[in-house]
Amino acid sequence: MDRALASALQERLGATLLAPVRQRFDETEIRVSIADAIPTLRALHDEPNFAFEMLIDLCGVDTGEEMQVVYHLSSSTTGDWLRVIVPGVDRNAPRVNSLVSLWPGAEWMEREAYDMFGIIFEGNRDLRRIYMPDDYLSHPLRKDFYLADDASRSPAAGVRNMERAGTPADATRATALRKSSGA
Amino acid sequence: MTTQQTRPSLDDPRIAIPSTSEWYEPAPTAQTERQAEFLNLRDGEMFINMGPQHPSTHGVLRIVVKVNGEQVVDLDPVLGYLHRGVEKLCENADYHQAICYTDPLEYVASLFCEAAPVAAFEKLMDVEVPRRAQYIRVLTMELNRIASHTLFQGWMALDLGGITPILWSFIERDEIVDMLAALTGQKLLYNYYRIGGVNGDLNHEFMSRLGNWMSRAAAQIDSNTGLINENELFVRRTRGLGTLDQATALRMGVTGPNLRATGVPFDLRRDHPYLVYPELEFNVPTRDEGDSLARYMVRIDEIRESIRIIDQVLHEMPDGPVMAKLPRLIRPRPGRAFGAVEGPRGAYGVYAISDGTDQPFRMRIHDPSFVHLQLVGPLTRGNLIADTMAVMASLDPVMGGVDK
Repeated sequence: MDRALASALQERLGATLLAPVRQRFDETEIRVSIADAIPTLRALHDEPNFAFEMLIDLCGVDTGEEMQVVYHLSSSTTGDWLRVIVPGVDRNAPRVNSLVSLWPGAEWMEREAYDMFGIIFEGNRDLRRIYMPDDYLSHPLRKDFYLADDASRSPAAGVRNMERAGTPADATRATALRKSSGA
Repeated sequence: MTTQQTRPSLDDPRIAIPSTSEWYEPAPTAQTERQAEFLNLRDGEMFINMGPQHPSTHGVLRIVVKVNGEQVVDLDPVLGYLHRGVEKLCENADYHQAICYTDPLEYVASLFCEAAPVAAFEKLMDVEVPRRAQYIRVLTMELNRIASHTLFQGWMALDLGGITPILWSFIERDEIVDMLAALTGQKLLYNYYRIGGVNGDLNHEFMSRLGNWMSRAAAQIDSNTGLINENELFVRRTRGLGTLDQATALRMGVTGPNLRATGVPFDLRRDHPYLVYPELEFNVPTRDEGDSLARYMVRIDEIRESIRIIDQVLHEMPDGPVMAKLPRLIRPRPGRAFGAVEGPRGAYGVYAISDGTDQPFRMRIHDPSFVHLQLVGPLTRGNLIADTMAVMASLDPVMGGVDK
């Protein structure tokens, strides 16, 4: 755990952080809004005392109430992973800015997040489905998408979806992440 | 004249030959700006379909190649033929079951696919892995790395047209695979790591096979590499091909040997240490050229470093338990964790979110092959079609991991 990194982040980004810097094991976590995300990531990449030059991961998260985009960065200046969470993306019309201008390698990861969650990344020139076929309609990793033969979490628990004649009205109700996780 | 008039005209729809455009499926309509650019054919250009059942695509990958004669103008990889939705399956399985699902992702090095989720879950559970289990994990992972890299060595030569090296590299790989099978009971999908340790201590058969193999490993690897490294055809086909510079590699999110071949000494074992790696002595081999040959050479150097690590692990392994005390039902407190290991292809990471139940709420699997496959386009533009395979082979993607 790199205490110096936490204080440096708090000092440099203090105003844009939505929550205090959190640290656990070798992970440092910050939260920024959709509008601040790209400028913050640019600052983390460009400024020599941070130098987070490596984008290790980009993914979408559906908490059941909102969407998030989560970035994991690595730097040569610290042994900590930096996790940048962009919370509060609207579930019904998820739309954030693309990271492709900073890390062109994010293109496919954004395509994957679009495919799986329907998150639209503004500025990605190639935002189309990557795993699912082009004529596929839903976004499988959303929490209101149930596996055909797994009904254990659905409102119709115990009944196999494939064997059900009709879809119950509340079958699209999403499982929500518990508040206590701080997500 | 009269006979001509009774004959049907060539334009008569009853006998007219359809125009060539109707022979083929209609071209897909562009959904994005980039795709429209790709689908726009200029004079002399045409599309060629490669895969999904092409022997050199290392799995089921389809590449639509836009060519001008023999020259690759542009290409568009089409993924998803192997998509199983592992992330979704993991969200609907409990923590122990989730580890089994990640196993077949990178089927040539599946211990790394287990190690990453296990690392993330252990952070969620806040559990300390016993020292002996940590050493066993390092030992088995390094063995698996050697197995993966030796297979790469043979594959790469095979993709360039040399049949012999893959037969030789399978000797080494089979020995390691059999060794791990003696330990775990499975040849490829081991399912050996558990949250808090490993499933069973080292056994006699594994140790005797390992001792036997270690006594000749270095010499055997040297003779295998001698077969390829000094082959002029191999060297001349790969040197200077698909050169990746350092800045591009960093911006493309490249990790692992492909990044180290451009001169960046980034290795998770060194930069984000896990298990007992900080106590072990090893080098992080790098090359500066960044071409296909450099990517190959870095991997060969890594095999030698792995043998060095195994040697140290065997000397320093302590006695003790191999599992931490944990409840049978894993039910971590709500929270988030990122576990990552340095796989033979790069940073293999898992981001797990727990909501306090016995199933992960979200489990994101990051596979390095997926990122590296993006490079095939930029690195092969302007080269010959045959070089596409040489570049792909040197990037060493595994489609099981790419498609998840």
